[in-house]
Amino acid sequence: MSSPTQQAQPARATSVPALAPERPVVWPKRTVRTLANGLQVVLAESRAFPKITAQLYFRGGNAITALSNPGLAEMTSAVVRTGTTSRTSRQIEEDLRRIGAGLGTHAGADSSAISASGLAEFSSELLELIADLARNATFPQEEFDREQRQRYEELKIERTTPGFLASERIRRVLFGAHPYAIVGPTPEQVEAYRREQLVEFYRRYYVPTDSLLIVVGDFSAAAMLDQVEKIFGGWSAPKPEAMKSESPKPHFGRHVYLVDRPGTVQTQVLAGNLALTRRDPDWYRAVLANSIYGGAFHSRLVMNIREQKGYTYSPRSSLNALREYGYFTVSAAVRNDVAAATLTEIFYEMDRMRSLPVSAEELESARNYLTGVFSLGVATQDGLLGQLSVVYLDRLPEDYLETYRQRIHALTAEDVVTAARRHLDSANSQIVMVGDRAQIGEQAALFGQVTAFDAQGNVIH
Amino acid sequence: MSSTPKKLHIPVEHTKLANGLRVVASPDRSAPVVTVGVYYQIGFRLEPRGRSGFAHLFEHMMFQGSENAPKMEHIRLINSSGGLLNGTTNYDLTNYFESVPSNALERVLWLEADRMRALKVDDENLRNQRDVVKEEVRVNVMNQPYGGFPWLDLPPVAFRNWPNAHNFYGDFADLDAATLADVQTFFRTFYSPNNAVLVMLGDLDPAEAFKMARRYFENIPAAPPPPRADVNEPAQESERHGEVEEKLGPLPAIAIGYTMPRRESADWYAAGVVERVLHGGRAGRVFRKLVLEDQIAVDADGSADLLETNGPTQMVSRIFHKPEFTSEGTVAMYDEIIEELQRKGVQPDELEPVKVKLRSDFYSMLEGGMGSYMPRFGLMHYLACFTLFDGDPDRVNTILNGFLDVTPEQSQEFAQKYLVPKNRAVLFRRPTAQPQAVAGGSR
Repeated sequence: MSSPTQQAQPARATSVPALAPERPVVWPKRTVRTLANGLQVVLAESRAFPKITAQLYFRGGNAITALSNPGLAEMTSAVVRTGTTSRTSRQIEEDLRRIGAGLGTHAGADSSAISASGLAEFSSELLELIADLARNATFPQEEFDREQRQRYEELKIERTTPGFLASERIRRVLFGAHPYAIVGPTPEQVEAYRREQLVEFYRRYYVPTDSLLIVVGDFSAAAMLDQVEKIFGGWSAPKPEAMKSESPKPHFGRHVYLVDRPGTVQTQVLAGNLALTRRDPDWYRAVLANSIYGGAFHSRLVMNIREQKGYTYSPRSSLNALREYGYFTVSAAVRNDVAAATLTEIFYEMDRMRSLPVSAEELESARNYLTGVFSLGVATQDGLLGQLSVVYLDRLPEDYLETYRQRIHALTAEDVVTAARRHLDSANSQIVMVGDRAQIGEQAALFGQVTAFDAQGNVIH
Repeated sequence: MSSTPKKLHIPVEHTKLANGLRVVASPDRSAPVVTVGVYYQIGFRLEPRGRSGFAHLFEHMMFQGSENAPKMEHIRLINSSGGLLNGTTNYDLTNYFESVPSNALERVLWLEADRMRALKVDDENLRNQRDVVKEEVRVNVMNQPYGGFPWLDLPPVAFRNWPNAHNFYGDFADLDAATLADVQTFFRTFYSPNNAVLVMLGDLDPAEAFKMARRYFENIPAAPPPPRADVNEPAQESERHGEVEEKLGPLPAIAIGYTMPRRESADWYAAGVVERVLHGGRAGRVFRKLVLEDQIAVDADGSADLLETNGPTQMVSRIFHKPEFTSEGTVAMYDEIIEELQRKGVQPDELEPVKVKLRSDFYSMLEGGMGSYMPRFGLMHYLACFTLFDGDPDRVNTILNGFLDVTPEQSQEFAQKYLVPKNRAVLFRRPTAQPQAVAGGSR
């Protein structure tokens, strides 16, 4: 199909071009101030697009009430945006659109957040709106009623999602009596919320002391600092009490937790163990071990169960770092007849990581991958904000971003084995399978004693 | 007080190689990162009849090995250069893209050129990826509540011409029937340099980038222009209806699709603005009325893929409603929103804020667009679409004006002409075990 003239052109390169010399990654300078009211402010310029992105974090999340009233932080964050002393729900939404902004309010295990991004030309209006929600939310009864019903219906949908059912179960198993065991409320618990409980959570935890405001975007940091001081400076409230909780207990031996969903065409497999937080000295080597095991496209697990065996589309492993504890997980959605075979490979690859040193080439590849992908965060406002929030929410060293690269590059094959032995705990892995018990029950029993549940979380026999 | 709006100008340079490959570069030296995309003008709309899902299965095959980069080598080389990669199949195009530290630009171009030149795959690779794709369909569609809603559900209801109306993920029987010969034929037919555009953005010098592109791509032979399926739809006479059973989720869901005006027509710009009046979160009319005011729905939003399609496409509203209301009654309440638009159009007090939001969203899309992990994904995507569909990547700097110039009168005209029953399809996704509904969607 090609024409002769084109075939006459010079021979093509058949070997991989070498990498050119690197251009250093320069993380933008941060302006970090703690205001008199205790609010920590972090500003970073990112001026390629005329936009700003801001997040205000409070150090009180779902874990605070997980054992007494699960999901209260999440519900509070949903209703926060529905009214203040000077704006109705509709005004808030229209004000946002008028300044070209999007707003999100949400809560995780450890924090609640108000986040927004919009045009830089309206930055003061945007920050004023965030401050208004943080200080003057009124929780109108009719808005609460509506959001409560919506949340109730959303949860019923969530309980039909295999990924949710698997992560809910693994957290219960791994964290036991610790609040991290509870990822969310039941629909019935949502029905029992009262408006006053949200108001109380808001009063206690939506406070400036110990909270964090990060603003990234097209501004000059000095001018932005003035603006932030003007808008957030006059706010004060007492510091909330810290959460006290029981330590999760380590597990010995494997155990299988099967969530039965009759008739499903696929099995969601998830295995995990308690691991570590970002503040642990082992963090970097564990990140590297995870990346080689199943944290990247070219990792061993993906090569094995996707590219060689075709069991799954979406295998992955991850280190999940919460503030007090962390855990390691590996997951794959697989066809029913290879559920056991998948687990066999999952543990085989873990054991291989724990037994044998990685090759120099694999080590070098993984280090380059981690440092390169980490640096992509510098190129967008969202990426930059995400990286900064890790540093300042987890109170990591100020030079975390700048030294990440050298810390990863200093790691050795021995570090990888050490980390795998400590944190990829194959022999004591807790296994969750979400699928049709009639089809996968026997396969499950190959890996340990099986406890079975229905999709609502009740034990079944 | 707000400061004055800053006008964004994206630097765009483009050229065409001797083999017909179009090349676009947009420098931005603010971070040492480049994003590269190769876009082929072949999507699931244009895949061969009797081979549903083939365009997407083929996309997987592009990661299975090329002349000088055997299976997994492409992925390994991108990852070990510190980069991320992926590919997606769309209606009218299939894309392959990488974000890497800028010192890996040449390596990325070499890899993309190698797989544009020759695919080196075998039966084993095809069997493997067929299995992987089946698990992809199971995890995204068959084992997810509302899986495939409405992107797989609506086209067969809305359209009559096979290219627009078939199962884009593919029937398993069609996936099973695909052969290695099909793979090579598809590759030779559609994956030629003259049916593609190469986009390079970020930390690069356009002249040098063009030089590199020539070095690796220019000697890939051109192919005859690929056949283009006729994607035109016969005229629609009346409203179309369809139902799909929802086996997992508890709530009834509705998709309402209106077929959109031709790309770049005056009505097309009005469509882009009116769509944002109706949708776009909690200030949109659909969410405001159905979720906030009438409280029939739990969630309601919608979208229209105007910039990235080149054939019949719909604006789609998606509604999840409470089980105590009927789907028919919910549509009646939705129709009140549409009728009001037809009666009054969109007045300046609403039109102007919607345009501000549209501008802001456009910038956000350019900057990121695929989560925060792929810098400038949206910019790459639009530059490619404007090149392939309009022949002018520089449209990225002017396209916004067409939307910002839409008047209240044009918005009303559009609503009267296009948001009518004989231009729409309504799809109900009904839960298998649905509790008894009360009559009507009345308040």
